[in-house]
Amino acid sequence: MTPPDIPRFPDGAVVSARALSQRVTTADGELTILSDVDLAVAPGETLAITGASGSGKSTLLGLLAGLDRPSAGEIVLLGARLTDLDEDARARLRAGRVGFVFQSFQLLPALSALENILLPLELAGRRDARARAADWLARVGLAERASHTPRQLSGGEQQRVAIARAFATDPQIVFADEPTGNLDVDTGARIIDLLFELNARAGTTLVLVTHDDALASRCARRLHLAAGRVADRVPA
Amino acid sequence: MKLLRLGLWLLRRERASGEWRVLLLALVIGVGSVSTTGFLGDRFKRAMRDEGARFLGADLLVTSPRPVESWPAHRLIQSEALEFASMVSHGDTFQLTTVRAIDASYPARGTVKIAAQPFTPGTPSRALPPPGAVYVDQELLPLLGAQVGAQVQLGAAAFRIAGVVTEEPGQLGGVFGLAPRVFLRADEVAATRVLEPGSRVTYLYQFGGPPAALAAFTAALKPRLAPTQRLVGAREGIESLRGAFANTDRYIQLAALVSLLLAVAAIAIAAHRHALRHYDQAGLLRCMGATSGDLRTLYLIQLGTIGLVGSLAGIALGALLQTVLAHLLLPAAVARLPALGPAPLAAGVASGFVALAGASMPALLRLAQVPPLRVLRRDLPPLSGSAWASAGMSLVLLLGLTAWYAGEPKLVAIFVGALTGLALLLALLAQLALGLGRLVQRMSYGPLRFGLAQLLRHRFDSTLQLAAFTLALFLIALLALIRSDLVDGWRQQVPADAPNHFLVNIAPHQQQDVAAFLTRHHLAASELYPMVRGRLTTKNGQAIETTLPPEQTDASTLRRELNLSHTVTLPANNRIIAGQWFGDRRGAEISVETGMAERLGLALGDELGFAVGDQTLHATITSLRSVRWDSMQPNFFVIFAAGPLDDLPASYLAGVRIPDDATGVLPEFVRSFPGVTVLALDKLIAQVGTVFNQIIGAVQLLLGFLLAAGMAVVVATLLASLDARQQEAVLLRTLGAQRAYLAKGLLSEFVVLGLLAGLLAAASAEIAMALIAERLFDLPVKLHPWLWLALPAAGAALVGISGWLTTRHIVRVPPMQSIRALA
Ligand SMILES: Nc1ncnc2c1ncn2[C@@H]1O[C@H](COP(=O)(O)OP(=O)(O)OP(=O)(O)O)[C@@H](O)[C@H]1O
Ligand SMILES: [Mg+2]
Repeated sequence: MTPPDIPRFPDGAVVSARALSQRVTTADGELTILSDVDLAVAPGETLAITGASGSGKSTLLGLLAGLDRPSAGEIVLLGARLTDLDEDARARLRAGRVGFVFQSFQLLPALSALENILLPLELAGRRDARARAADWLARVGLAERASHTPRQLSGGEQQRVAIARAFATDPQIVFADEPTGNLDVDTGARIIDLLFELNARAGTTLVLVTHDDALASRCARRLHLAAGRVADRVPA
Repeated sequence: MKLLRLGLWLLRRERASGEWRVLLLALVIGVGSVSTTGFLGDRFKRAMRDEGARFLGADLLVTSPRPVESWPAHRLIQSEALEFASMVSHGDTFQLTTVRAIDASYPARGTVKIAAQPFTPGTPSRALPPPGAVYVDQELLPLLGAQVGAQVQLGAAAFRIAGVVTEEPGQLGGVFGLAPRVFLRADEVAATRVLEPGSRVTYLYQFGGPPAALAAFTAALKPRLAPTQRLVGAREGIESLRGAFANTDRYIQLAALVSLLLAVAAIAIAAHRHALRHYDQAGLLRCMGATSGDLRTLYLIQLGTIGLVGSLAGIALGALLQTVLAHLLLPAAVARLPALGPAPLAAGVASGFVALAGASMPALLRLAQVPPLRVLRRDLPPLSGSAWASAGMSLVLLLGLTAWYAGEPKLVAIFVGALTGLALLLALLAQLALGLGRLVQRMSYGPLRFGLAQLLRHRFDSTLQLAAFTLALFLIALLALIRSDLVDGWRQQVPADAPNHFLVNIAPHQQQDVAAFLTRHHLAASELYPMVRGRLTTKNGQAIETTLPPEQTDASTLRRELNLSHTVTLPANNRIIAGQWFGDRRGAEISVETGMAERLGLALGDELGFAVGDQTLHATITSLRSVRWDSMQPNFFVIFAAGPLDDLPASYLAGVRIPDDATGVLPEFVRSFPGVTVLALDKLIAQVGTVFNQIIGAVQLLLGFLLAAGMAVVVATLLASLDARQQEAVLLRTLGAQRAYLAKGLLSEFVVLGLLAGLLAAASAEIAMALIAERLFDLPVKLHPWLWLALPAAGAALVGISGWLTTRHIVRVPPMQSIRALA
């Protein structure tokens, strides 16, 4: 498979953030989750976001993917300034071009493994959807499990289906939030191998959140968060 | 297009999920119930509507108890007919019929269809039978055991049945088959010797012609009409009939509506749970790039599909069941009803969509607003307000649907009020019953204790389930009781020696002969009462209409002619309530039935005026009587003392008991006295009972929908608590509870629920029935032990089955798999 054409983005990054802050009001007053985060991820680059629990990793990931609006700062994703877009426009921007892998897999229980991969393809209106889905299922080594529902799959198998789903539309960027968080060490390692292998082959940009140093060290770059601030930047 | 595919695809994948099934099921039940009645009502209405003129057989109809001598000048087509009740016999079989003696120009408008065989289409033809022959309603043949071509006896003459009437103007009178019609040539009435002076006859004058001529004629005729004569235009004839029908129809529709309303409740609950379970899916789809508009379209497509499939299935069910209903209600007339019409189809689909959309859209559309961040932050609260939005919307919807079906604000208010009251009462009862359940729970152990604990924990659900099921069981039981108690009870109350035949229209000169005949055959008979027909016109010198109590606006007693009688001995089943019985005193005194006195505001000492023929009689009320109408004895509203009625033309009436084994007596009587009409009371009661049973049977069939809707509510509420139950079951099983224990626990929960519903329903039905029997029908109150067994058993079985089917897999799934599914 040839890597998709990577268009040139104005600032040369697939996703970038400047002076990003996220504050929420809770019962106990205002809470700052993120403050003053700057970052840029180049096409094909892999970035690990690390930090202690509650340090704001998932929040940052959600903002970068356009799932939420920041309180301050600016994000450019795939060449579009997210702050200028409303929720629906951001959704259209994501369609077919952004993939997700979650800690809790998030497969639809009523759909089979194959159909779960089919879902984003159908949503993006791809013509050869079924063939592509079958192809991706085979690539994650689950060709024989096509008709099984998530219930009938182990956690590792479910996450492999989720990875196939994330890559199936040939996205330009994949966001992963603790993809091994629910798996044992061995399975987790195999999932990571798969993730990086597929990513390398497709030349996709990968932003992943993790607790795991070993996993983080496999990424080209690492961004460490402490209490919502970027603590340091560790080149691989 | 893409969304259409995706929506249908996801729907197909999820069709096995409980919520869609409940949604669909509830929809089929709701639409099925309203379209069953809708279809039937529509067929009836169209049967009546087709054309006013065709229905009346004229553009204008004048009915009169006496011949009309002269008419205003006119150039209209005119036909004259007279109608009277008479016995027709074939061999030893007798049947009371309505004889219509017609001339060659009958009917003035429309056509009559005559067939050589009953229940065949028939060909348009003249209504006038050939000399020596009659045409009869097809219902008459089986009643007489006769066939076309057979000879029947009508009074003193014999006629050949030359054909059956399959379609005629004004056919609805015979629909219930109480007194099938016989068409006779007017010039052959004399030969039957049935009519004597004083015989009860209605003269029918039909007119047809251009509208202008009709209007002029009507204007000229109106001032000349006597109060007992009625002028019916084609339009108003239809309107009055349709109005009467529309009311009945509306009440049946309301009965069906209750099922639809329960279905709406089930839909709302199922949709709410569906939404709860699809937050993740919605969030995920938004992550993958679906806009909220996309999601809205997607869910609308799914809802629309369910709506369409459910409505169509409901309509198909309705179309099927209306046939059953039509056969139950009108076995004789089914063949005459027009085919299914398209109007109820639209109404069915509309109610289906309104119910589905109203009850489920608030929940489903909120799914489109799920923040995509939900996929990262599981702790995001489910959308607030959606439950209230659903409930509020459903409420508005229920009111809207009710208003639509009920038509008038007053009826809506009554219906909604009654329903709310009933719901509150049932909820209260359910709460009490659950309190009782707590007591039992304290004393029980093992699975039963566990099951009861579940029942009490889901208190809101349990109350809802209990109320829905109690309502269904209660209504069904009530109807069954009404059917068995009132009809049978009434029949049993009739004393063994009560008359089973009435001899009506005995001419004065036959009086002695009839009395002699009765003595000769040792028949127990009542006195021969004279009957004079007269109309109540004045009270204390004032026109009676102006003296009526304010609430008595439509006094049909006033328009009808009353049967006035006189006798010196107070009839056995009458009791003097006020004043004194006049006995053999002669003079202008009357005794009035109390009910009539109450309705018309009459009191002792009032002087009433009666129009009898062209004379006016005045008499003073000297006593008020209560009358046992169910005694089967001849009864009168107004009885005169000897004197005033003596010289007036009268016919006589007697009640007589003809033992079942005295088979030859009746034929001999009819041959000896051709003019006397014999009413077979027991047969008539049996026929009325049959009609009554048919109607109740039909309504009970509709209540079957209510039961099904109740089951849908149970399933929907159970589904809503399924996740929590599953979690609990998994926990219990990991802690060592055995499958059998869990299964017994679940089963005992539902069986107890069903038992409680059955008990509540039995209690409510007994109370309601006691009130009805005592207040309305004056029957002794009795208990129905079988009810206390049957209803709890039925409740336990039905709730047990629906509950078990919904929750059984909780027990079946191995804990490991459940844990994974819950993760
Ligand atoms: N909308 C919100 N309202 C209140 N608190 C919030 C909100 N969003 C995030 N938080 C809080 O901000 C903090 C950071 O959350 P976030 O999920 O980004 O942490 P994380 O680094 O991903 O942690 P973990 O490793 O446990 O997943 C947490 O304490 C979280 O409870
Ligand atoms: Mg996190």
